[in-house]
Amino acid sequence: MILDLHNHSIKSDDGRARVENYCQWINKRELAIDGFVLTEHRQFDDASDYRKLEDESGLLILKGSEVETDYGHVLLFGVNEDLQHAFDFAAIDLELARVVRESERCGAVAVPCHPGRPNVGLCAHYEARGPVPGVSIVETFNGGSRQGEDEWALAVADQYGYRGVGGSDAHIVSHIGRSATRFEATIRNVDDLVGALRQGDFEALQCK
Amino acid sequence: MQVAGIKKEWVGLEFDTAEFEVTEADIVSFSRAVGETDPRFLDPAHPDFQAPPTFSSRFVSRRVLPEAFPHIGSRGFDAGKAVTCHGPVRAGHRLVAHSKIADVYEKTGRSGPMVFIVHRMDFTNQDGELLSTVDWRMVRQPDLK
Repeated sequence: MILDLHNHSIKSDDGRARVENYCQWINKRELAIDGFVLTEHRQFDDASDYRKLEDESGLLILKGSEVETDYGHVLLFGVNEDLQHAFDFAAIDLELARVVRESERCGAVAVPCHPGRPNVGLCAHYEARGPVPGVSIVETFNGGSRQGEDEWALAVADQYGYRGVGGSDAHIVSHIGRSATRFEATIRNVDDLVGALRQGDFEALQCK
Repeated sequence: MQVAGIKKEWVGLEFDTAEFEVTEADIVSFSRAVGETDPRFLDPAHPDFQAPPTFSSRFVSRRVLPEAFPHIGSRGFDAGKAVTCHGPVRAGHRLVAHSKIADVYEKTGRSGPMVFIVHRMDFTNQDGELLSTVDWRMVRQPDLK
C-alpha cells in the first residue's frame, strides 16, 4: 500500500489545493498512490471530515500535522487530544526532543521532514549540535527538495540508522504523488499508520 | 520582538478607509491585462457586465500598515493576495475599502524565521453591500543580529 505522507491543503496558510482536487488529480492521472496524509502547518485540523470524499474517490485520506522545532520541521502522525494539549502546535520554537518524547507518550509518531533543507531541516542542526534521542524515522524523500537535500537526508539517516519515509510536501494539486511511502501492511486509518510506522516495515519512494 | 504581543495589540484594528470609483474602462483594461475572454468581463454591453473576481486586488489603501506599527525587520517581500468574492463589482460602483490587520503570525522557512502580516481590505459599494475581501500577506524577516 502506497501513501503520500506529507501534503498541505488550503487549511495551511500557504496551501493552494483543495482536498477534493487532490483526489481528482490522483484519479485522473492514475497516480500509483492509495491515499495521502494532510499535514497542515502548525495546527491539527480537527474540523474537517473527509469520509464522504474517501468513499467517492476510493482514496484513504488521513490527517496529521507539521510543526516547527529547534531542529526544523517535524511531521506528526497519530495526533490525538492528548498530544494537542502537550505543546502549542502554533509555536515555531518547539524543542524537538520534547516533541519526540510527547509524541511517544501520546501514542503518535514524530518524523523530522525535509532534513536536508537549510534552516528548517534536521541535518544542519545535527552537524551543529548533535543528534536528538528518540528520533527513529526521517523523511528521506521530499517532493520539494532541491538538488542535494534528499541525498544529505539519506546520508544522515544511514549514519544514525533511521528509517526513511517519503512525502510530496504538496501545496498545489499537481505536486501530490511526487514522493510517497510503500507499506507492507494494509493501512485503513491513522492507528494502522502509526502501527506500521512503529513496526518499521516500509520504504520511501521517489516518484518524480 | 514578540509576535504574540503584536498580534494582541494590532489584530482587528481598522486603520484606513479609501474610496475608489469603478468605471467600464477600468474593468475592460483589467480584464484584458489578466487574459479574460468571457464577454461578461470585456463587453460593457453585456447584460451581466461586471469586473472579474480578482479586480479589487488592484486597489491599494493609503497606508500599508497602521501608524506606529512595530518595526519587525528591514527585509521582506510580498507573499501575495487572496481575494474572496461576496458579490459582483460593477461599473458605476463607488467602492469603500476598510483596511485592518487581520492576522500576524510566524513561521520558519529555508531563509529563516519570517513574520507574516495580513492586511485585509473589505470592499463595500455605495449601498453598504460587502462585495469583496482582499487579504494581502506581507512577509517581514527579522533583522540579523
